[in-house]
Amino acid sequence: MPSFSLTINGEQKQVDVPADMPLLWVLRDMLNLTGTKYGCGVGSCGGCTVLVEGKAMFSCLLPMSFCSGKKITTIEGLSADANHPVQIAWQEINVPQCGFCQPGQIMAAVDLLQTHPQPTDEQIDEAMGKVVCRCGTYYRIRKAIHKAAELMHK
Amino acid sequence: MKRRNFIRISSLSTTGWVLVQMLPLKGFAENAEPACFQPSPLIKMCDDGKIIIYVQKQESGQGVQTSLPLIIAEELEADPKDIVVQPLPFDNNPKEGGKYETGGSTSVPFGYDALRKAGATAREMLIAAAAATWKVPTENLKAERSKVVNTVSGQELSFKELYATAAKMEVPKNPPLKNYKDFRLIGKPGQKKTNLKDVLTGHMKFSLDVKVEGMLYGAVLHCPVYGGKPVSWDESSIKSIEGIVKIVEVKQMGDAVSNHGGVGIIATNRWSALKAQQKLVVKWNLGPNATAASDTYNKQLVQASQQKGDLIRDVNDKPGTLQSTTSAGWVKASYAIPFLAHAAMEPVNCIAQYKNGKFELWGGTQNPGKVTNDCAAFFGIQPQDIFINLAMMGGAFGRRLNVDYMGEAMQLAKAVDKPVQLMYTRFDDIKYGTFRPASAHLLSAKLKADGLPEVLQHQMGMTPVSDFFDGNKSLENLTYGLNGGFEGDMYYAIPTVNGSVKRTPSALPTGWWRAVNFTHNAWVIEAFMDELAAKAKMDPLQYRLKLLAPLQPMTMKGFIHYNPRRLENVLKKAAEMIEWDKKREPGTGVGIACCFYNHAKAYTAHAFEVSVNKAKEVKMHRAAVATDIGIVIDPDGLRNQIEGGFVWGMSAAVKSEITFSAGTVEQSNYFDYEVMRMGELPPLEIHVVESGEEPGGAGETSVPSVFAAFTNAIAAASGLWVRQLPVKSAGFAVSA
Repeated sequence: MPSFSLTINGEQKQVDVPADMPLLWVLRDMLNLTGTKYGCGVGSCGGCTVLVEGKAMFSCLLPMSFCSGKKITTIEGLSADANHPVQIAWQEINVPQCGFCQPGQIMAAVDLLQTHPQPTDEQIDEAMGKVVCRCGTYYRIRKAIHKAAELMHK
Repeated sequence: MKRRNFIRISSLSTTGWVLVQMLPLKGFAENAEPACFQPSPLIKMCDDGKIIIYVQKQESGQGVQTSLPLIIAEELEADPKDIVVQPLPFDNNPKEGGKYETGGSTSVPFGYDALRKAGATAREMLIAAAAATWKVPTENLKAERSKVVNTVSGQELSFKELYATAAKMEVPKNPPLKNYKDFRLIGKPGQKKTNLKDVLTGHMKFSLDVKVEGMLYGAVLHCPVYGGKPVSWDESSIKSIEGIVKIVEVKQMGDAVSNHGGVGIIATNRWSALKAQQKLVVKWNLGPNATAASDTYNKQLVQASQQKGDLIRDVNDKPGTLQSTTSAGWVKASYAIPFLAHAAMEPVNCIAQYKNGKFELWGGTQNPGKVTNDCAAFFGIQPQDIFINLAMMGGAFGRRLNVDYMGEAMQLAKAVDKPVQLMYTRFDDIKYGTFRPASAHLLSAKLKADGLPEVLQHQMGMTPVSDFFDGNKSLENLTYGLNGGFEGDMYYAIPTVNGSVKRTPSALPTGWWRAVNFTHNAWVIEAFMDELAAKAKMDPLQYRLKLLAPLQPMTMKGFIHYNPRRLENVLKKAAEMIEWDKKREPGTGVGIACCFYNHAKAYTAHAFEVSVNKAKEVKMHRAAVATDIGIVIDPDGLRNQIEGGFVWGMSAAVKSEITFSAGTVEQSNYFDYEVMRMGELPPLEIHVVESGEEPGGAGETSVPSVFAAFTNAIAAASGLWVRQLPVKSAGFAVSA
C-alpha cells in the first residue's frame, strides 16, 4: 500500500491507502474528520468542498496521488471556535436547516470571499451554484455571504 | 456518590402523546452522576444545574429539536441557558415505536398541548416544593428563570435546590397553563437552531458520521429492476480490489420494506466497497418489471384517469357516483405528474451489528417503529430484538419513513460478526428510492350561470404510496391519496364533488414525500380553478374568493376544523404582495394559488409574477407567500421552512423528474436528477399571519401552492395552460 503525506488543518499527516482513494474518504474514514460530507461522489453537489492550497475543490474527485504534499483545510480547521467571519455570519443569519451541506457551503463561501471580497449576486451565483442544499437555505446563504463580506472589512 | 435519582413520571395519556418508559440512559457513570428529578420522560432536571429536555421526534432539519423544547421550557419557566436538548433514546417497547415516527408536519400540532402540560406539571411540583420548604401557600409563588420566587417576601430558591422535595410532591392532574400573552419564549424572535455551532464547525454527527469500534463498510450492488434478483456473480471480477471481506446476496424484503435487494459487498474500507460495487459482474433475473417503461406507464395512468375509479368519494367523504360528462357545458382538463426522488443531501445509511440473535443499529430514521416491526418480521425475530441508536439526519423529506436501507444493513451485518455501515451512494439513492407517485388527473366541472362550479369531478390514476408502504393493496390504501381537496376535504363551496381514484400498478416502489398527496391534488385543483375562471371570464383571485365567501367554519373529513376566513386572508395577502391588480405589459402575468393543509392546521397562498416569450422562455420576476399556521413557536425557524418549502416545490415544478425504461430509473445523480441551485430562484417575499389560533405544522404547508401559483402565472403571461410537470418537460425554459 503506498504511503502519502499531506498537511491537514496545519498538521502533518501520513496515510497508507490506495493511490486512487479520494481525499474525501481519507478525511472521513482514516482521519475521522467527518465534517466534510459525501453527497454525490462525482462533483455534482459540492457537499465535500475543502480548500486545497487555499482553493475550493471537491474532495470526492481528488485521488491521494494528487493530494500528496498539499495543504488541505477542512471545516474543522477553519477556525478555533466557529469564529471565522463566514461562520459568524452563518450564525447571525441562522442559515442551516439540517446542516449537512453547510460545511461545503461554508468552504465554498470562504474561497469566494478570498477571490471577491465584496461579491456581487452574480459572483455568488457562479461560485455557490456548485453546492446543492435540498433544505433550500439559498436565500440565507446569499444574505450570510454579504454579511461575512461586511464583517471581513470592518 | 450513590446514584440517587428523584424520578416521578407523570402520565400524559390523555392527549394521545403517550410517552415512553425511560430506559436507563446509556453512558451514565454511576459515580459522577448528578442527582436528577424527572417529572416527565421528557424532562430531567439535575442538581448540576442542567435541565435536559428530550425530543421524541426525529430531527432532519425541520427544527423539532428547537421548537419542541421551547414549548416545554415556556411552561417550565426554565432559564434557556440551563437547557440541554437531547434526542430521546429509543425505547425498545414495540408498542411505543410509533411515537417516534416523524412526518406529516404533525410534531408541533399534535405535541403542543402535551408538551405544555409536561412543562407545567414540573413547574407546579417545583412551586409546591418551595411552598412546603417555606411553609407558605402556593398562591404568592411563581417560577421564573429556573427559580421559584415568593412575590411577597422576595425569597428565592433555585430549581436545583428543590428537586429532592419536588420529587415527593403530588403530580398535579391539570396544571394551569400560561396565557399565550405571557409567553416569553414561544413566538419570540432571536431563537437559533439547536446545535448551530456544531453544524458550522463540522462537529455535528450525522448518521453517516457515526463510527462503531471494528466497523466494516458495506455497499449493495442493487438489482436494476424492482422485483428482480441476482442469479450469480463473478468474484474474479473484483479480485484486484484489496480489503473485500465478503460478498453476499441481499434479498428483497417485501413491498413494506421496498428494498431492491441485490449483491452486498462488505469491505474493510469504504473505497474498496464502492469500487467493488462498480466492478462486480452480476447475472440478474430481472423479474416481472424488466420491460416496464415510463412512456407505457404514463399512457396507462391517463387511461386510468378516464375510467371509473376503484374508490369514489364525495364532498362529505361518503361513497360517490361519477356523473356522465359527455353533455355540453362541461369543462375538462387533464394533468400529468411524474415520479420524484427525494435526493436528500445525506444519502440513506445505517450501521448494523448482529449478535446472539439480536440486532443493534445506529442510524437516522423517521420511523424506528417500522424498522423494528417490518425488519423483525423478515428475520423471524421479535421487534424488541432490534435496538436502534437514533442519529441526526441530513434531510429526510419522507424518504426515511421507509426502512429499506436499514433492512439491507441488517442483512449485511448478519453475514459477518462485525458491525457494518451500509451507505447508499447517490446513484443508489436516485435509482433505488421510494418515489413520490406519478399520476394522471382528469378534472371535469359543470359551471352554473354565475360561472362558479356546481359539480367538480376529479378522476386520478396512480399507485398509492400505501400499496408498498403497508405491504398490501387494500381498498383502504386508496384513501391515503385523497388529500388537498380531492373529496371530503374540498375547501371551496362546490355543491357536488366526486373524487375517483383508479389504481395503476407501478414498477417503481412509491413512498412518502414532503407534502405528498397535496403536491398532486393542490396543483391540479388550483390550476383547474384558473381554467374555470377563464371560462367564466372572471379574475382568478376573485373567482377563489367567491368560492370561499359562502362557506362557514366547519368540521370536515377526519374531524378537522376548517376556517375559510383564514384561507381568504392568506390569498388576499399574497395578492397584495404580488400587486395583483397592477397593470402589466403583455407577456407578463401573475398567478395565485392556495392550500389548506388540513391535518397540520395550516393555510398558505403563493403568488408569482413571470414573463414568458414566444420561445416559451419563462423569466421569474418574484414570488410571494402568505401563511397562517396559528401560534408560531420559532418565528425564524418557520421562515426557514417557508423558504425551504418554496425551493423544494420549485425544484419539482421546474425540472425534477424520474423516468424509467427497461424497468430501471434513467436518472442517477444531481446532474440528471436536477434540483434548484443558487441563482435559479426569484426574490421571495414572506408574510406570516399572526392569527393566534392553535399551532399548526410548518414543514409541508410551504410546498403545495407553489406549483399552481407558478403554472397559473405562466398561463396568465403566455396564454398557454400548463398541464404537465415539471414545466421543463412541457417545453418551458425557466430562469430567475
